[in-house]
Amino acid sequence: MNEVPWSLHLLSEVLAAFSVDDPHALRNVINRVAEAVDAEVVAILRQGTISHCIGLNAAEQPLLIAHAKDHPASIQLSSGLLYTYWAPMGEGALLVVGRLMEAFNLEERSLLRAMGRSIQLSAQVLQAVTAEREAKDAALLQATHDAMTGLPSRSLVLERLEAILCGSVAGERVATVLFVDIDRFKQINDVHGHASGDQFLIAVADVLRKVVRSGDLVGRLSGDEFVVITSTAMRQDAEALAARIIEQVSQPLVLAGKLVSHSPSIGIAFAIAGDSAETVIENADMAMYRAKDRGRGCYACYVPSMRLNAQQRAAIEADLRRGVRQGEIRPYLQPIVNLSDRRLIGFEALARWQHPLRGLLAPSEFISVAEDTGLIVEIDTLILKEACAIIGGWRLAHPEQQLQLSVNVSGRTFVDPSLPDHVARALQSSGLDANNLYLEITETMLVEDIDSTTQVVERLKQLGVRLAIDDFGTGYSSLLYLKRFPVGILKIDRSFIDGLGVDREDEVIVKAVIGVARALDIDLVAEGVETERQLEMLMELGCDYVQGYLFGRPCDAEAAEALLNRQETLARAG
Amino acid sequence: MPADPIVDPMAAADADSAASARPEGVADGTGEPNRDALGHPLNDSTVDPQGDSGSERWIQVGSSILVDSEQAVREALAPILASGQPKLVLLFCSPSHDLALSAALVADQIGAAGLIGCSTAGELAPDRSCRGGIAIWALGGDGFSVSTGLGQGSARGLRQAASDAAHCLDGLQRRAHTVLVVLADGLCGDQMEVVRGAYDVAGVDVPLVGGCAGDDMAMQATQQIFGRRVLDNAVVAAAISSDAPLGIGVSHCWEPLGEPMLVTSSDGTSVSTLEDRPALDVYLDAFDAPEEVRSDPELFASWATTRPLGIRRRDRIEIRYVSGADFQSRQLLTIAEVPQGGLAFLMQGDAHSVLEATHMACQMACEGLQGAPLKGMLLFDCVARRSVLQDERISEEIRRINAVRGDLPVGGFYTYGEIARTKGAGGFHNQTLVALALA
Repeated sequence: MNEVPWSLHLLSEVLAAFSVDDPHALRNVINRVAEAVDAEVVAILRQGTISHCIGLNAAEQPLLIAHAKDHPASIQLSSGLLYTYWAPMGEGALLVVGRLMEAFNLEERSLLRAMGRSIQLSAQVLQAVTAEREAKDAALLQATHDAMTGLPSRSLVLERLEAILCGSVAGERVATVLFVDIDRFKQINDVHGHASGDQFLIAVADVLRKVVRSGDLVGRLSGDEFVVITSTAMRQDAEALAARIIEQVSQPLVLAGKLVSHSPSIGIAFAIAGDSAETVIENADMAMYRAKDRGRGCYACYVPSMRLNAQQRAAIEADLRRGVRQGEIRPYLQPIVNLSDRRLIGFEALARWQHPLRGLLAPSEFISVAEDTGLIVEIDTLILKEACAIIGGWRLAHPEQQLQLSVNVSGRTFVDPSLPDHVARALQSSGLDANNLYLEITETMLVEDIDSTTQVVERLKQLGVRLAIDDFGTGYSSLLYLKRFPVGILKIDRSFIDGLGVDREDEVIVKAVIGVARALDIDLVAEGVETERQLEMLMELGCDYVQGYLFGRPCDAEAAEALLNRQETLARAG
Repeated sequence: MPADPIVDPMAAADADSAASARPEGVADGTGEPNRDALGHPLNDSTVDPQGDSGSERWIQVGSSILVDSEQAVREALAPILASGQPKLVLLFCSPSHDLALSAALVADQIGAAGLIGCSTAGELAPDRSCRGGIAIWALGGDGFSVSTGLGQGSARGLRQAASDAAHCLDGLQRRAHTVLVVLADGLCGDQMEVVRGAYDVAGVDVPLVGGCAGDDMAMQATQQIFGRRVLDNAVVAAAISSDAPLGIGVSHCWEPLGEPMLVTSSDGTSVSTLEDRPALDVYLDAFDAPEEVRSDPELFASWATTRPLGIRRRDRIEIRYVSGADFQSRQLLTIAEVPQGGLAFLMQGDAHSVLEATHMACQMACEGLQGAPLKGMLLFDCVARRSVLQDERISEEIRRINAVRGDLPVGGFYTYGEIARTKGAGGFHNQTLVALALA
């Protein structure tokens, strides 16, 4: 047999049971102590209480506590005489070991004494190592996870995705990235405050965690940008997941006591051989922008042409920022005419970009970029200010004209609490009467986040400014808000005007809208009037005002004033 | 028919009256009481209303090697039902049978008796050692009290499951002598944990016996039976309390091959190095392994069956069954822990030593009866011992058992690990015969 005393091996076995990976290490250690010396009972006593015990039931354990001071060599149990050894562990703790019917010999007592102290020291080391490991884990978690939502942050997302791309995905499946962006999140932050915005993002993170499959990775890249990494066998699988995310994330949330509606736009990209993690996420990001272009609250899959589009978009964004800074965005004015006498009664101000190289650009060339980047608020207030200045400036030259001005306001600008201040300043500096100013918005904007818009509308109402509802008939068409808000004009959408004389249904709709306006004493403007036939029908139906190419395209201030001068000349001549 | 069955004509009535005394609390790790399809609590306690005043006890064993599960159960159950209403039935069933069907058929016939069991790697019955069969071991009579318990474990281990199952002791009407029979999933985690978990509840007063379920050496998955339920990763237990003594015998008779070696690196059931050399290489070289087992996992597992490791304990050597090897990392895989820092032996045995162990274990169990007459035995016999004997000499083992038991009922199964705790807190064994003798 081995020359080393067996007790040393047993001590080694016991100490080997300490593992920082085992939450029950101390429990296993006392089992090993018992097995090493064929003891039936092992317990650890600390300050008069038993922290661990095997072999004795709850009724018998107090026996050990009762003898904790006198350390008897044996205790009588119902099963027989239990020979005990009380090994000091340090700091007042005791390792109590008991064996039925057989006392411990000298070597065993020596072993148990060594075990007592060693277990205490090992437990302290274990505690220190565990604490250090927990601190390291916490630091790692902080470095790799977003503190607010607890989701993996960008660096970890990239690392995991890179690992997936380098490894093999089961069967025919491919690594798939869903880039999830919350539509108009900045608006939520602006209106409800950053605390509510944070609360919102935490809620979105929770929803994403629940909606994905186990094994999928959800991460937060920045702000309102989330990512889901999964694997799919078919494009339809990814689309189904995207649809599920949209449905779940779009559920209204209560923020600061107010119900907030929102939606995500999702871009989907499938990894192909050789793709880096950055590339796949970029592709998904580009696809997400396509989803936003399609009207938000939907998803789009990446196709290679999107990369070119994205580059163009980035270039436009930079160019637009420069253009806004250098005053290249200007109001163009489209005349609004009284249908009964064909007299010019006012203008709608529309943004145009006088680009130094590309010439005059229509809104379709830059508005979506402006909305995504937040530049739209700056553009809207700029057009408001300049258009008010133009119309206000004509008061002296054309004192007999009470010209109306409609200014388009985007959804994001409309919920901006500073909008009424901008309006007040524009009116004050231009001298324009508030009665003659209409802020043109869509009905969807008004209804979508009614809690947020109510405060702005109330302040506008106090200023005496009214609203013109653009594209009426295409959205909610709720009569309730027409009564609740200071709506002065309903604008019939051009799609219905196009159908006049062609589609009987459009005619019925136009008639119904005119009926609503009449009943509520709201003026009507028909947009997009291009033919005499449309004009005749609108007259028959009883429409008040019209605008469209038939009466003039949007033009600069100089051309608009020329129209005004011509009307005055004709009036004087008549 | 048993040689001398003591049939209790009141057994059925006792069992019925016991049903109302069943405890509601159960432990399966879910926190919810387990109930059968009829809503009965599954942690069953059959309490004898006559207490210690009556002392009639009987044990009966039946077996069958019929292939059809329904016919096999009928055949194996017949002698038991002829003995009267049982209080506890242990069903040992080859995985070649439909365990769910077999359990249901037995449950249909035994009334309120507790039923536990498991899949096997062979079955033991009076005068028979079989493979692919069914063995049913039962006891009855008003001299016994019985309760059964279940613990559902997971791939992470069975300690809590074993504790949960052992809590059937809480509802047991205690008599003079008590034992806890434990049957565990033999292919789930470290089997030492089963003993530790059961001991946490049973404590010093109640010895443990039992075995790990087998799967006819496929080493894929084993199953456990609790009433009509068939589970895996589980521990089932039956607490037996008797007016008469109980005896437990344990023996393996394996001998060390050479000097002990220091276990320089191990993690639970994976032994990485012995004396700082890759454990697999040490093992293969020491036993002069033939070329074909050095690379083929299946051949290796079969070859290693008769070449266990031994772990040095205070006054004995505990056997560890080598269940496989990792040919890449050169690790030996065992079915129970081989502690790092301990001393390990390579062990050898032959048919003679196996048969000696059979005799010794049975003899030791009978001696534990303190002179009371033996009524029957329950055996947990390692499948590796059967491999040593092989088919041609297995009948010799039966003769050795018969030499001790006389003409009394004996039954059990071939296991993937054996449990016998009579002293100390440990008690997991491998390649060992554990015998429980009941007077």
